[in-house]
Amino acid sequence: MGDDYLDLRLETFLEQLSAAGSAPGGGSAAAVTVAAAARLVEMVASCSHRWDDAGGIVAQAATIAARAAELASTDAVAWEEALAALREAEAGTLDAKGSRLLERKLDAAAAAPLEIASLGADVAALAALACERGDATYRADAAAAAALAAGAARAAAHLVRVNLAVRGSDPRLARALASERSAAELAAGLVESGA
Amino acid sequence: MTEGARPSALSDAELVERCRAGDEQAWGELVERYSRYVYAIISRGFRLGENDAEDVFQDVFTRVYTNLDSLRDSSALRPWIAQLTRRRCLDVLASKGREQPAEEVGGAESGPDLHELDEAFAVREALVSLSEACQEILDRFFARDQSYRTIADELDLPAGTIASRIARCLGKLRAELEETE
Repeated sequence: MGDDYLDLRLETFLEQLSAAGSAPGGGSAAAVTVAAAARLVEMVASCSHRWDDAGGIVAQAATIAARAAELASTDAVAWEEALAALREAEAGTLDAKGSRLLERKLDAAAAAPLEIASLGADVAALAALACERGDATYRADAAAAAALAAGAARAAAHLVRVNLAVRGSDPRLARALASERSAAELAAGLVESGA
Repeated sequence: MTEGARPSALSDAELVERCRAGDEQAWGELVERYSRYVYAIISRGFRLGENDAEDVFQDVFTRVYTNLDSLRDSSALRPWIAQLTRRRCLDVLASKGREQPAEEVGGAESGPDLHELDEAFAVREALVSLSEACQEILDRFFARDQSYRTIADELDLPAGTIASRIARCLGKLRAELEETE
């Protein structure tokens, strides 16, 4: 639980994803997808030698990728803890204190996907810039990065909704949905333009 | 730099000259500017315990104060302070039967090496020379981990321009660092 997933072989990470009933789950998969999308943007910027701001985009993409990778582990830990509390609740052994604890665990389990959705929106924004200003040879990769980031942002926003078991007015859900929307619009713009 | 410039806006060489002239405010700025650096070398580079760290810290700045006139090149303040700090740390380690700084003893996983600390400090110094707007936006993104959306909302800027602004500020930071090398 809570391994540094970047230290794993890809095959091992995928096997862990398929393991029954335990982390990593959807949140970690979304985080790793955001990290992969960010690294794609980094590649596009690195190859765009005539783009004055490319170095600054590389630095931002690398920073976001590192944050997303860290969130893959954070999410796994939070989800395992929430899952344990949920099982206790299902067994009917929760008292009032246990119920409050469960609520806190679910809140914590929503925090990581909220950040993952936000990072997904940021990667989509970087991908849009890379598509517009980067080397034309790599535009399709930039558009692919935006699409991956948008998918991950959508998945993460869904997890926020589920983990908060929510009322539509929760500001955290509103933030997650705003990130999802922003990433989706950017990605759609790039993919539909044929970039 | 003008005579009346704030100490925080002075270069190291100007700061040294003011300290030599007995300017107490400049001395305060020198300690402020280098205290984190010295402490980082002591604690992260050599992993000294709290008591030893405090002793070395005090001793280094006492030596800087009393020997400032012996510094030949005023602009070489940082390497001079680093050297003083390392020597004092090695003295402490030798007195306890250890002879190597922590990162040499423990290998790469023990933490950042002294070169990394120097680089981090150089970046911090270069940051100060950027516009306040650049300092603000870089701090928000890289230090406070804020998203583009949050930065845009709090600084009242269009969300779509944040990544470009950060990139341009990084370009200026890079130019500043290259100039000082």
